[in-house]
Amino acid sequence: MLNDIFNILLPHVCLAGFIVLQLVLSVVMPIRRYKPARFVSLTGIALSIILLSTVQTEPQYFAFKDSLMADSYTLLFDFIILLCGFFVTLLSKNLVKTMKRNAYTFHAILLTALFGAINIISANDFLTLFISIEILSFSTYFLIACAKGYYSKEAAFKYLLTSAVSSGVFLFGVSYLYGITGSINFSLIYENIVQQNGSVMYSISAILIIAGLISKLALFPFANWVIDVYKGTETSILAFLSTIPKLAVFGIVCRLFVFPLSGSFELTFAVAFVSLITAFWANTYAIREKNVKAIFACSASANSSYAMLAACLVSVYNLSAVIFYLLCYVFMNLSVFAFLNIYGDKKIMNISDFKGIFYTNRGLAGAYIVSVLALAGIPITSGFVAKIYLFTAVASSGLIFIPFLLALLILTVFALFYYLKVIFPLFEECGKNTDEKVLHPVFSQKFVLVTTVLITIFIGIFPEKLIELCRFIAYNI
Amino acid sequence: MEIFLSIPFLIFMPLAVSLLLISPLFTRNEIVIRRFSKSVFLFHFFYSILLLAFYDSANPYVSEIHFFGLDWIQSMGIKFIFKIDSISMIMTVLTSFVFLLAAFASKYNIRKNHKFYYSMLMLLMSAILGIFTAADMFVFFLFWELELIPAYFLIGVEWKEPVSCYDNRQDAKNSAVKFVLFTFLGSMIMLLGILLLYYYNFVSSGTLSAGFSDITDSLIPDGMQNLIAICLLIGFGVKLPIIPLHTWLPDAHTNAPTPVSMVLAGILLKTGAYGIFRFNYQTLPESFMKIAPVLAVFALINIIYTAFVAYAQTDIKRIVAYSSISNMGLVLLGLCAINQIGISASFFHMTAHALVTCGLFMIAGIVYLRLKNRDINTLSGIAAYMPRLFGFAALIVLASIGIPAFAPFISEILTIVGAMNSDFSDVLKLVSVFALPVLILSSCYMLKFLHNGFFGEGEYEKIYDISIHEFIVLASVLAGLVIFGLFPDALLNLIQAG
Repeated sequence: MLNDIFNILLPHVCLAGFIVLQLVLSVVMPIRRYKPARFVSLTGIALSIILLSTVQTEPQYFAFKDSLMADSYTLLFDFIILLCGFFVTLLSKNLVKTMKRNAYTFHAILLTALFGAINIISANDFLTLFISIEILSFSTYFLIACAKGYYSKEAAFKYLLTSAVSSGVFLFGVSYLYGITGSINFSLIYENIVQQNGSVMYSISAILIIAGLISKLALFPFANWVIDVYKGTETSILAFLSTIPKLAVFGIVCRLFVFPLSGSFELTFAVAFVSLITAFWANTYAIREKNVKAIFACSASANSSYAMLAACLVSVYNLSAVIFYLLCYVFMNLSVFAFLNIYGDKKIMNISDFKGIFYTNRGLAGAYIVSVLALAGIPITSGFVAKIYLFTAVASSGLIFIPFLLALLILTVFALFYYLKVIFPLFEECGKNTDEKVLHPVFSQKFVLVTTVLITIFIGIFPEKLIELCRFIAYNI
Repeated sequence: MEIFLSIPFLIFMPLAVSLLLISPLFTRNEIVIRRFSKSVFLFHFFYSILLLAFYDSANPYVSEIHFFGLDWIQSMGIKFIFKIDSISMIMTVLTSFVFLLAAFASKYNIRKNHKFYYSMLMLLMSAILGIFTAADMFVFFLFWELELIPAYFLIGVEWKEPVSCYDNRQDAKNSAVKFVLFTFLGSMIMLLGILLLYYYNFVSSGTLSAGFSDITDSLIPDGMQNLIAICLLIGFGVKLPIIPLHTWLPDAHTNAPTPVSMVLAGILLKTGAYGIFRFNYQTLPESFMKIAPVLAVFALINIIYTAFVAYAQTDIKRIVAYSSISNMGLVLLGLCAINQIGISASFFHMTAHALVTCGLFMIAGIVYLRLKNRDINTLSGIAAYMPRLFGFAALIVLASIGIPAFAPFISEILTIVGAMNSDFSDVLKLVSVFALPVLILSSCYMLKFLHNGFFGEGEYEKIYDISIHEFIVLASVLAGLVIFGLFPDALLNLIQAG
């Protein structure tokens, strides 16, 4: 057991240690000394990232009676999740300032969420998976609710309700699967299913499990929460909400598609339909929307649906495309929310609030425009390469899915429309009565924005190495 | 000499200048910005002329860019590879020339945000040059998408204080959005075509590559070829434009400032025709043989329908915009002929029409700048006040309706001859029989424009005749038209060499 910990769990243990440290500090430290909280968190995450180098991945390592595992796939996702967590912590400065009393608790919860996320990726049975998902969800409720005001409480409650329902659906599916195979371990289930050759019950349970999981991705049956929740959430928490749960859940969904749930063609078709409906819903809803946060909520939902379509058509090529897409996507999203964070959080952020920002803050606005255009898939950014790669993967999956692909491609036109709607006001001149707004970002915010935008452009120009990495990982899953 | 002639420099020099212009390091002084950009455009034009001078049609320029020793996306077989054959050569020089004219025309039409404007113009130029020189489908698509963003801003953003009801900001914004959405829709369907072509080429021939030269169409099943060809045609049809997909064009061209209209009509529309030539004609010839008769009928509709629509317009810019669609129908007809005369006529007409339409938009812009009015019914008697403008306008209008000694005369006749001579389908012969008399329609609306606007009585306060910048633009357009009209062989030989 101690061996297991030293072999693969040091990053987890490190995070857990820092959670405890934060909680202790929250009792010990006086209220006015809230600033060190952020640095403690940053140190913890950085240390975990360093400790990832100790994880043994060749070829696969199972720990705690097969309930946890590690391979190069989990390593990559852990790294990206922790990196996102690092950026989110950097962005949280303004939020923490508004709740000095609870700064240490806030950071403890943030670390707990990260812990849950990396645990989801490592899970090798449904029990561990369920517990990890609940750790992540519960921390997320608190994170959403911690901002001041009525909206954040409403958002947190809505998220709680949807998550509760989807957890129920997920557990229901797991119980069926347990009934069929007599096991909750991924590898054992897979062996069982291969022998049994699939059945109706199996398909139903697979669909229920995936339906439970995709609520975190804001896909169709459980997508309604996304707009209300995004509207009420503070921007730094949005940077968290739109990246980390998504990475974690996509990570495990891809693994589930490859291993325990791979025998079901009905599941593939159902998910393909779901992603198509989601893309349709999200892209058309955003057209009339005026709130920037709501638009990015729809964009988050739509982007998951593109990746989901590729993920459900299981192949090495598709899997590598999905991983690459996610990697590109999180950085674009982080930079978008970093800019919104610099702009300053407001209850309602309308598109027209951003009028004339380009003329007063060229650098910041330029970075924001690049990242929004990257989300739309315009060249020289990683978004273009990621979309091309993803769509090539779908196109090579068989003739049946060509209509799906065509529909998605047409829906991306709607997406471009609302992305343009977001960036156009930046170039409009302010009216005579309004003051020109000059932004004053602190160093950490600027750092996040610049780093993520540079990564976005760099991947757009030199994608080859990263694609090779994704292929290698997809091949070794 | 070879060392100095590099395609990447040709394409990425404007891109680099664009980044330089937009960066905070560069000065905000508008005169400096304007002169600097003008000299860059001038330099680029001479550079492309230099390329043309050393061009040898037997071995076209080819260049490949590596990133740290790797292809762009090696695992997908996508290379950053460029090739300039004689068709690309012509289009490159034409692009450079039109942008130079647009830079000269910008002086009076662009009054604020100079930094952003010239930066976007450079970026657009880079993207269009990339389209004309790319030798890989995905690189072609990359530049095709890249061009959207600068074009969007150039049409939609406010470049000067509004002076009349024609300068409605909301209209300009809407037409920019319309332009982008139409083009993006087309390009997404085109992307589907490219993806299928790429994938089925891989399946049937086993080469994982997206280069134009690596596609062997004969191995791809017929039905799939037709599907791919139609997908591609929809993408190019939006740009060209082919009739049901044309509604973005009049709005975009009318609401854009004059130099941007010149670029849009002069070069941007040609990317569609170029795409049909590269993809459908060269890469998928078998399916293009089947589609060409249908396409020829669409071309005829383009020519006739828009000519009538143009006659009904009262806004000068809209007349010119619709005449562009009509002319692009002629270009399409030439491509559909699938013989040497037709193709060369098609590219000749692209060149001629680029010059004509630049001139016409310039005239419309000058009139609007002086009189704050573009309505053909209320304008009259400009000739008495602006004799020099009248001279140029009369000559360019005459050129556009196909009077001998000007370039469009040659290309129109050659197009019809090409369509007549096409031996694979009777539809084309029929179309060409109809197309010939229809060309008269163009003289109806163009002469109406000249007659209503310039003749008659008019009462104006003191208005100035054309300035030196405007003179340069109009004179160089006219010189080009006359040179190609009198010595068409220079251009035709170059086209036929490829």
